Amino acid sequence: MSSSITPARKRLMKDFKRLQEDPPQGIMGAPVENDIMTWHAVIFGPEGTPFEDGAFKLTLTFTEDYPNKAPVVKFVSRVYHPNVYKDGSICLDILQNKWSPTYNITGILTSIQSLLDEPNPNSPANAEAAQLYRENRREYERKVRDCVEESWSSDEEEEEDEDEDGQDGDDDDDGADGDAPDADKPDAAEQ
Amino acid sequence: MKVKVKRKWNVVAVWKWTAPDDSCGICRQAFDGCCPSCHEPGENCPIVFGKCKHCFHMHCILKWLGQPQDECPMCRQTWEFQ
Repeated sequence: MSSSITPARKRLMKDFKRLQEDPPQGIMGAPVENDIMTWHAVIFGPEGTPFEDGAFKLTLTFTEDYPNKAPVVKFVSRVYHPNVYKDGSICLDILQNKWSPTYNITGILTSIQSLLDEPNPNSPANAEAAQLYRENRREYERKVRDCVEESWSSDEEEEEDEDEDGQDGDDDDDGADGDAPDADKPDAAEQ
Repeated sequence: MKVKVKRKWNVVAVWKWTAPDDSCGICRQAFDGCCPSCHEPGENCPIVFGKCKHCFHMHCILKWLGQPQDECPMCRQTWEFQ
């Protein structure tokens, strides 16, 4: 009966069921309405790490080659991390050359959650974060805390209530918010 | 003890693949079902073993191999059919 449902879509339904039935701690995800090939997810920063209390949004984009090809996974929230590019792309081996078709969405999101506190400084996507992680952990963690606080604001709705106390003025803007001006709203603190 | 076999009895047979797992690690469908490209279970959608002892629907592992990987999706050893 379901001959029009492709193998990739069948697999994604399995993944969805699995994630609903047995969600790992601090991980949420679901396909967007009417498109099972595009997912939105939220990863909460692991407790006891500088990322604790962060709620980081991601998108996952699948092709009909799934699970033989990895999805494209990107952070929508700004994440200050040695292995996360400024545009939200993630440098993680299992999403690139170490992909296996036995991975599912639960596994992908769990791996990204672990990556938050276990960066791989040998393949930096954010050179500054990688350097601070190695050489000035205190400053690194301060910058991580900034992005944790940013993750609480609902940037999608562009809401008016900007009473959150993030965005301390001394944030040296070394191009960090140049790539996603709509998300960062750098002028919000100036009003 | 006498056992009387009534004339009217219905024979029912079941079959199962002999596999260490219930489902294929690639498509996550039951081995007693079929891969997502097939419509009915049976010998047209067999399961195959590698030398590493891992098994998958034949159609699932064939789609993975040679593009350009040649590793078992479970253990990353070079895949060889058993």
